Amino acid sequence: MKRTSKLVGLVAAAALTLTACGGGASGTKGASEGPGAKAAKGGTLQVLANAAFSHLDPARGFDGGVNNFYRLIYRTLTTQGAAPGAAGTKIVPDLATDTGKPTDGGKTWTFTLKDGLFFETGAPITSADVKWGVERAWDPEIGIGSPYAKQLIEAPASYQGPYKSGDLATIQTPDAKTVVFHLKKPFADFGSVVAQNTFTPVPKGQGAGNALDSKPIASGPYKLADYKPGASLKLVRNDKWDKKTDDVRTANPDVFQWTFGLDPATIDERMIAGQGTDADAIAGTVQAASVARMQTPQLKQRTMTGINGCTTYMGLNTTKKPLDNVKVRQAINLAVNKQTVRDADGGSALAEIGTTIQPPTITGRVDYDPYPSPDHKGDPDAARKLLTEAGFGAGFTMTLDTRAQPKMQAMAVAIQQALEPLKITVKINTIDTATYYEVIGTTSQQHDAAITGWCPDWPSGATFLPPLFDGRNITPKGNTNLSQLNDPGVNAKIDEISKLTDVDAANKAYGELDKQIMALAPVVPLLYEKVLMLVGGNIGGAYLHDGFSGGIDLVSVGLKDASK
Amino acid sequence: MTASPTLVEVEEAVPSTAPPTSGKRLLTRITRDKGALACLAFLAIVVLMAIAAPLITKLSGWGPYQFDSAAINSDLGGLPRGSLGGISGSHWFGVEPQNGRDLFARIVYGARVSITISLSATLLTGILGVVLGMLAGFYRGWVDQVISRLMDFLMAFPALIFMIAILSSLPSGNRPVLLVVVISAFGWPYLARVIRGQTMTLANREFVEAARASGAKDTQVVFREILPNLRGSIVVMTTLAIPGYIGTEAGLSFLGVGVSPPTASWGQMIASSVSWYSVDPMFFAIPGAFLFLTVLSLTVLGDKIRTLIDQGEAA
Repeated sequence: MKRTSKLVGLVAAAALTLTACGGGASGTKGASEGPGAKAAKGGTLQVLANAAFSHLDPARGFDGGVNNFYRLIYRTLTTQGAAPGAAGTKIVPDLATDTGKPTDGGKTWTFTLKDGLFFETGAPITSADVKWGVERAWDPEIGIGSPYAKQLIEAPASYQGPYKSGDLATIQTPDAKTVVFHLKKPFADFGSVVAQNTFTPVPKGQGAGNALDSKPIASGPYKLADYKPGASLKLVRNDKWDKKTDDVRTANPDVFQWTFGLDPATIDERMIAGQGTDADAIAGTVQAASVARMQTPQLKQRTMTGINGCTTYMGLNTTKKPLDNVKVRQAINLAVNKQTVRDADGGSALAEIGTTIQPPTITGRVDYDPYPSPDHKGDPDAARKLLTEAGFGAGFTMTLDTRAQPKMQAMAVAIQQALEPLKITVKINTIDTATYYEVIGTTSQQHDAAITGWCPDWPSGATFLPPLFDGRNITPKGNTNLSQLNDPGVNAKIDEISKLTDVDAANKAYGELDKQIMALAPVVPLLYEKVLMLVGGNIGGAYLHDGFSGGIDLVSVGLKDASK
Repeated sequence: MTASPTLVEVEEAVPSTAPPTSGKRLLTRITRDKGALACLAFLAIVVLMAIAAPLITKLSGWGPYQFDSAAINSDLGGLPRGSLGGISGSHWFGVEPQNGRDLFARIVYGARVSITISLSATLLTGILGVVLGMLAGFYRGWVDQVISRLMDFLMAFPALIFMIAILSSLPSGNRPVLLVVVISAFGWPYLARVIRGQTMTLANREFVEAARASGAKDTQVVFREILPNLRGSIVVMTTLAIPGYIGTEAGLSFLGVGVSPPTASWGQMIASSVSWYSVDPMFFAIPGAFLFLTVLSLTVLGDKIRTLIDQGEAA
């Protein structure tokens, strides 16, 4: 389970870059003319963004921003629903007629393709194209996106994708409509896995190297018309896509026009003004400084907000002294003033206070606060008591890694202040944003603590707790278990849950595992960040999609009046 | 300069007696000038603030790093409560958005950073500039060649870009020291050039030749004859350099390569106020005003001193 790419989503969200970051189902309901109003067909929808897309190749891109965008040009075997709230994270059939038929106790999965499916070239989409697309995930250069296909599907250790190693025998195509996957071990939730980007069909024999990054081959309702990397991207309708085969995508506008490289402050100004084509525009989360300006009734009507489905936390490196002492970690959990951390992030409009590892959008998550304090302002007295018991009443010095980004530094300073009364001196180590995850993921370079975040790949604890806390996953490089927790109890529980065949029971068990882990206090859950975005006055059908870090669902959004 | 054909003793007497009288004269002339007096008063306040920062913040009740969640409105993105950026009896200059840190305390501590860095940089450039400039001007020949080419090289260099590059690639060790070193490394040639030219002129003057003829060694000539005559230029050049260095430090902090947070710095405050300009203009206005007035005062004062010294020399 890949950390970096998931975190790209968070980075991007933090940098207000995403067109596809947001969350929750709480748009401004009730305002009939608000973003929820019905969208008409046609027109050009503008998207203002800071950062460009990481990749257009579905096997490479893997973050909240591109996942949402990919649904416009690509289709997968199954996909997430297109609706606000929990309905958005429900897995529904897309290219396949259903969400898969397991046999052999969940070890073999069979999917049947619908009729009338075509690529933008006019060629029919066959099971061989699906197989080819999935096989690309094993290519060492291409398969840098969603890791699930590689992790779950049986393959020889030497397999390196279709361009280098040829055919993969464990994915069978008995006829042009049927594709069969043989897994390494039973996996109950494989129907959710085939909604990942890597299950996008690619015409057999094509897509080698960087080909798809510059010219994607569309299977969805839109195709690429013009792309200037880092500057702009234009999508037009793909006339080979048939609405009758697609229950998910409404595909309202005729054209999607992205503009990249805009300064976040400029985007806010343009969205607040809403002049000209900006009335047809959507953008990412606003800056903290803009929140106060969005309190007018006119702007409130154009405001959408919800949690983005990620957790921002501070990992405590349990291999370093004195953080190897559970009481010290618990004391830090008690002492951190989450109110000031939230204010540093942008206040209550941009984040909710986090108390558990799993964010509220995860199915089966239990809401509890293991280290309570009045108003979440920290309890230095209780913390001091624990520290004294642990023998560190005189305090100590620790180093906190943080990204060279004003918001992240502000959070680090807030933590520094909160720990000062305990005589814990926090040294803030600022690391360049581009190399941040590489540095903290290298166990030899990692310091005592680091502020980071994690987003689920689908709303299940399976994509949250094992990658962060399975002690057997600690690797010298690219490590995601930042606290380097290797607890036999936690490891055993992870194994136990992974054997469960009932998805609901597993999710519930992860909720309990969350508690078990927090008793060891390897991390300090800080915030569940929120999206807060303004949409243009002419935008209709917009809602925040829980599955795409809370971004506006692009396959449903449109213009209220397409003739403008 | 007009070489006076009068007695050597008179010429020799000028360096030893002129500076003290001109120093006194300078002070009286400045105190008589209202503008210069105002500048001097403002600078005195800033310097006092910098020196007595811990005492002052004890008086005002808020430290520079202390958060005040009650002073900001979390629901509005951390905007200070109250008008004018939260100016009140307890926060004299208001508070910083998003964390409620006291602006007054941060201005006071920011003055420390500005003053320490600019004075240290001035001292370092002063020493480097005078020593290397005099070496080049006095010895000529290959020494002059080497030093002059080095100066040409440094002056032709795109200094700001290079400073940003150096400071962002260096590990975040002792930032203030790094800033001083980097600023000085690019600042000394401007002083050294002037010193070199003046040393060349002075070295040919009769009193220097007379000193040589009476058996003075090189060191004696340099320290007894030439250096005292350069005093005026050095004073003027350095006074005019200080505001430049304050500006450079603020600029580098603004660009994010100056002192590292949470240390207070005026440039950094201005940088973080940029996005808040429309909802909390005071957050920008206050550090901006302090930076502006400090630089203006130093520039006006330096200019005044130059005028007075020029007049003194002509007289």
